Amino acid sequence: MKFSFTSDQQQFAAGLREMLEREFTAAHLRHVWETGAGHDAALWSRLAEMGVLSMMLPEADGGMGGSFVDTILLIEELGRAAVPGPVFETMTVGALALAGTPWAAGVADGSVAVTAALMGERYVPHTAVAGVVLLSDHDSIRAIETSQLQLTEVEGIDHGRQLVTFAGTETAGAFVGSDRETATDAGSLAAAAYLLGLSSRMLAIAGDYARDRRQFGQPIGSFQAVKHLMADALLKVEFARPAVYRAAWSHATDSDTRARDVSMAKSLASDAAQKAARSALQVHGAIGYTWECDLQLFMKKAWALMPAWGSASYHRRRVSDAVLGPR
Amino acid sequence: MDLTETADEQAFRAEARAWLEANVPSVPLPSFDTAEGFELHRQWEAKLYEGRWSAVSWPVEYGGRDADYVKWLIFEEEYWRSGAPGRVSQNGIFLLGPTIIEVGTPEQKARFLPAMAKSDEIWAQAWSEPDAGSDMASIRSKAALSDDGSEWIINGQKIWASRAAWADWCFGIFRTDPESSRHKGLTFILMPLDTPGITVRPIAQLDGDTGFAEIFFDDVHVPIENTLGGVGNGWGVAMATAGFERGVSLRSPARFNVAVDRLIKLWIKIGDPDDDTMRDAVTDLWMQAEGYRLHTYMTVTKLLEGGHIGSESSLNKIFWSEMDVRAHELALQLLGPDAERIDGPHERWVDGFLFSLSGPLYAGTNEIQRNIIADRVLNLPRG
Repeated sequence: MKFSFTSDQQQFAAGLREMLEREFTAAHLRHVWETGAGHDAALWSRLAEMGVLSMMLPEADGGMGGSFVDTILLIEELGRAAVPGPVFETMTVGALALAGTPWAAGVADGSVAVTAALMGERYVPHTAVAGVVLLSDHDSIRAIETSQLQLTEVEGIDHGRQLVTFAGTETAGAFVGSDRETATDAGSLAAAAYLLGLSSRMLAIAGDYARDRRQFGQPIGSFQAVKHLMADALLKVEFARPAVYRAAWSHATDSDTRARDVSMAKSLASDAAQKAARSALQVHGAIGYTWECDLQLFMKKAWALMPAWGSASYHRRRVSDAVLGPR
Repeated sequence: MDLTETADEQAFRAEARAWLEANVPSVPLPSFDTAEGFELHRQWEAKLYEGRWSAVSWPVEYGGRDADYVKWLIFEEEYWRSGAPGRVSQNGIFLLGPTIIEVGTPEQKARFLPAMAKSDEIWAQAWSEPDAGSDMASIRSKAALSDDGSEWIINGQKIWASRAAWADWCFGIFRTDPESSRHKGLTFILMPLDTPGITVRPIAQLDGDTGFAEIFFDDVHVPIENTLGGVGNGWGVAMATAGFERGVSLRSPARFNVAVDRLIKLWIKIGDPDDDTMRDAVTDLWMQAEGYRLHTYMTVTKLLEGGHIGSESSLNKIFWSEMDVRAHELALQLLGPDAERIDGPHERWVDGFLFSLSGPLYAGTNEIQRNIIADRVLNLPRG
C-alpha cells in the first residue's frame, strides 16, 4: 500500500506548473477571452512539445504511454492555470478513443484537439478549436471531424469553453476505440482533477487578497470570520483530493470499483469547487463582483465544469447505486 | 502509487483478524467511563497485550510489533470491524507513548512504556484549566523546584481530564517559570494520581458517565525525573503530542467506516426507499468516511517516505469530528421515535450520538483548528 506519486510524476507536474506560472498568467487567459479564440495556440504547441497532451497516448502512436496516474497531477496543474480549450478532453478521452487511428499522431503533435459529447450534452464545448468531436452511439464511440458539422454557436459563461449545438450526426463519422463508459469515466475524472486545480487557485487568489486588503486597520485575513470561511473551503478541497487520486488508480488498473470511485471523485470535486468559488468571491467583497477582477475567469470555469461530465448530484446517485444498491 | 496490499500486509491483516475473532468479548463491555467498565476494559487491554496487539506501532522491546503506519491502519480496520471494545488506554498508548518514544530518556522509556502497553498503568491527560481551555497557553498551575532541586512541588487545578476518574497516572503541562507567560516557561510532567495532595473530582458528562474529572493539586511532590522533554519545553512537547493526536492516532478512519457501514445497514433495514434526500445523505456520509480513509492513507504514506504531519492535522480533526456527528444525526433521524429511548434496541446510536458531540469540542475546539488552518496552512495573518 503506497498512496503517493513518484518523484518523476511530481517533478513533471512541478515543471508544468512553473511553465504555466511563467507563460500563461491570468492576463494571458483574459486575452483569450477578449479575442474570442477559445484557446491559446502557442500554449497548445508548448503542451504538445512537453508531452503533456500525449501523456496517455500509447508510444506506438507517438505518445508517452503513461497511465491515468501519470496524468492526473498534470490535469490538476492545467486546472490551476485554467488553461482554455479542450485540453483535458484531448489528453484523456481523446487519447483513449483515438489511439491507433489516423488522428492519433495529430493528438501527439498538437495538430488535433479533441472534444466530446458522450453524455447527451445539449451544448458541446470547444468545437471551434477541436478538429475531432467524439459522439456516443449506444455503448460505442464515433469520431467526426468538426469541419463536417453544421454548428450553431451559443454563448457560454466561460469564454475559455465555447459552446455550440449541432444536429443530424446520428450516423456520421467512424467508430473508434474505447467504449462509452470507459471514456465518460475518463472525462469525468479529468474534469474532477481540473476542478481540484481550479479550486486551489481560487483559494490562493482569495488568500492573496485577504493578506493585502485592509479594513479596520488590519488585513481582513486576520478576522476569524474570513479565516473560518476559507478554512472550510480548504477542508472540502483537501478531502476531495485523495478521492481524485484514488480514482486515477482505479481507472488506470481498470478496477471493479472504477465507476464508483470516479463518481465519488467528480461529486466531491464539483462540490469543493462550488464552495471554493463562493468563498473566494465572498472574501473579495465588491471587487470580486467586477468584470475586472481575475477571480471571475476561474469561477466561471468552475461553474461551467461543475455540471459538465455529470453533475455532483448525477455522480452521487451513481455512488449510491454502488454502495446502497440500485434504486 | 500502489493501492493494493503487499503479501506482508495481507498476512498481518489475516493474523490480526484471526486473533480478534477468537478473543473479542461476545457481549459488549459496559462503558469504560464507569467503575466496573473501566476495570473490565483494563482486563481486555491486558489480553490485547498478551497477544501483542495493544501497541502494534511501538518498538518490539516495549511490547509492540514495530508495525509501520500502514500496518497500524490495517490493525485499526480489523479492530473496529471486529466489534472490539473502545480503548481505555488511548491517552497512554496513542498520545503519551509516542511522545515518550520520541523525547523520553532511556530510563523513562523502560519505566513507563511496558507498564503502559500492559495497561498496568492507565493514563489520564491533564491539559485544560478552568481559565485555559481553547487558550491553553494561559495555563497557571505551577510547579516549583524544591530547595534541593530533587522534586517539583505542584499547586493548581486541571479540568476536563479524560479518564482521570479511574486512571493511575496523569500527564500535563505546568508553569515552572513563575515569571513566564504564554507558551514559555511550561514543563511537561508525569505523576501518579494517588500522590498525596492530589484530589480528583469526577464530572458527569452529557451521557451521565464520568469520563472526565477535575484534578486539584495541593503541594504535590513529584520527583524531577518525571519531567518529560526538558524543563521549559512543555509547550513543544505538548504540541508534538497534540499534533499526533489530531493528525493520525486519535481517530483512525476505521471506526468511522464501521459506523457508516452500520448506518447503511440501518438505512437498508428501516429507511424509506423513496426518500431520495435520505439516500443522498447516507451516500454523502459514505463518501466522507471513505474520503477520510483515503486521506489518512495519503498522510501515512507521506510519513513513511520521510515527511512530517504539520498543521494539516487540524483539517483531519475537523473532518472526522463533524462527520461523526452527522452520521449519528442521520441515524437518529432514521430511527424516529426510537431515537428518544436510551434503553432500547438502538441504545448504541443514542449513546454514540452523545459521544460524537464531544468530538468538535475536545483536543482543541474546531474553531481553534480553523484558526490553525488559516494561520499555518493558508498563511493568513494572525488576528
